[in-house]
Amino acid sequence: MSFRNSVTIAASPRPRVGKTLLARLLTDFYRQEGRSVAAFDLNFGERTLTQFLPEYATVATVRDIGGQMALFDRLVADDGTTKVVDLGHESFESFFALAHQIGFVDESRRRSIAVAILFIITPDQTSIEAYRKLRDRFAQATLTPLHNEMLGPAQHRGKYSLAGSGQVLMRIPVLAPGLRKYIETPPFSFADSNMGNAVGIPLDAHIELQRWLRRIYLEFREFDLRILLADLQSSMRLKS
Amino acid sequence: MARPAVILVGADKGGVGKTTVARTLIDYFGAHQTPTRAFDTEAPRGTLKRFHPEVTEVVDVSSVADQMKIFDTLGSADAKVTVIDVRAGLLSSTLQALGEIGFIESAKKGQITFAVFHILGPSIASLEEIAETARVIGDANYFLVKNFINNTTFFEWDPSTYNSYFKKIKGAEEITIPKLNEMAYEQVEVASVPFVSFVGNKGARGEAANNSFVLRGYVRHWLGNVWSEYDRVKLVDMVSPKIESNVRQVAG
Repeated sequence: MSFRNSVTIAASPRPRVGKTLLARLLTDFYRQEGRSVAAFDLNFGERTLTQFLPEYATVATVRDIGGQMALFDRLVADDGTTKVVDLGHESFESFFALAHQIGFVDESRRRSIAVAILFIITPDQTSIEAYRKLRDRFAQATLTPLHNEMLGPAQHRGKYSLAGSGQVLMRIPVLAPGLRKYIETPPFSFADSNMGNAVGIPLDAHIELQRWLRRIYLEFREFDLRILLADLQSSMRLKS
Repeated sequence: MARPAVILVGADKGGVGKTTVARTLIDYFGAHQTPTRAFDTEAPRGTLKRFHPEVTEVVDVSSVADQMKIFDTLGSADAKVTVIDVRAGLLSSTLQALGEIGFIESAKKGQITFAVFHILGPSIASLEEIAETARVIGDANYFLVKNFINNTTFFEWDPSTYNSYFKKIKGAEEITIPKLNEMAYEQVEVASVPFVSFVGNKGARGEAANNSFVLRGYVRHWLGNVWSEYDRVKLVDMVSPKIESNVRQVAG
């Protein structure tokens, strides 16, 4: 099997840990890579992702069956699109319970779509437990813990076991507090070539932002390679 | 020659999901490579036939000609299992007729495997029916099926009343059919295909269909739960004696 496309889910059962920022970065990264991207905003209330990426993000829900169909049928559709899911903490349980029940990961694999879960780690027991449960439930998905360094040092990373060989902890590096205001006011896109010049970012801030973004994109690229590698390894195992 | 098996699916009220249960049974035996045929008593237009046209025949159980069609062919038909979807209100009279033609007698002698799936409605009236039906049946494999698929409210039953009736039938087993999401159920209705075909995204003639993945997921999950109930009561062992299932394992 060789994956033609992927669904990446930015997840955490906690609010305000950077899921939407991660989803924005992923979406813009894939755009920059020249792929066609669709993002799904599963947050109640404020539609931050949709505000930042009006052309790419769709508001989605798993609260009713109509919403479930609109979301999951699209996620497994073999339409040549890379998908990013911004999974709001309120939908965390119901999304994964449903995904498990309807066999989302298996169906995706059958259609050559890789499913990756980027789990933003926090020290609380709820998250550690939720992570462990995801590992058990979705053995076929690539579950990767991600440390958002803006949340502080990750002394708890040992509590998040890494699955399989070649698995690493991903990170979003700290962005200087003075720079955050630029990226947190929509409309803003990391993928625009003049990144935010429209909102008047000073040159030094711009350079700093670019440097930050390059580190993140490097992480994403390695992450993509790891998905590819895991796929290769599993196909080699099958053949031997 | 294996002993033929007859499964009667009935209830005394309409709309409690007999046909749904019959459909899951046909799918279940299909999945276990057990040749099955079915009779639909909703003459002239049969719902069961709509879903399983290849194995289903519409009959009138009260007519002698049709009784012959069903019971005289038990030994000669290719199908080992015969599922009869008995129309609402006909369960008692069908059982009566079976008694008259000596069918119940052969079942008691062990020449035929006979089982009854009694689908329970939500009212106490169908409990009265249990006692009466049980009297006719004797020691047939008796299954009381609580059908939650269309969300009937068994929870409102008084447990002591329920238990007093339930205990009147020695060895009766309880089967629970869980709820299936309405939209998923409806889509299978619209597609008019067996549940397994819907799950496999196939149309009536095996052609590729375009069913919602989410709805297929719901149906698969639900059907898995129903089948695990049938596994629990060892339905396959009941219709095919041990030795044969061993042979199947070796061969398969």
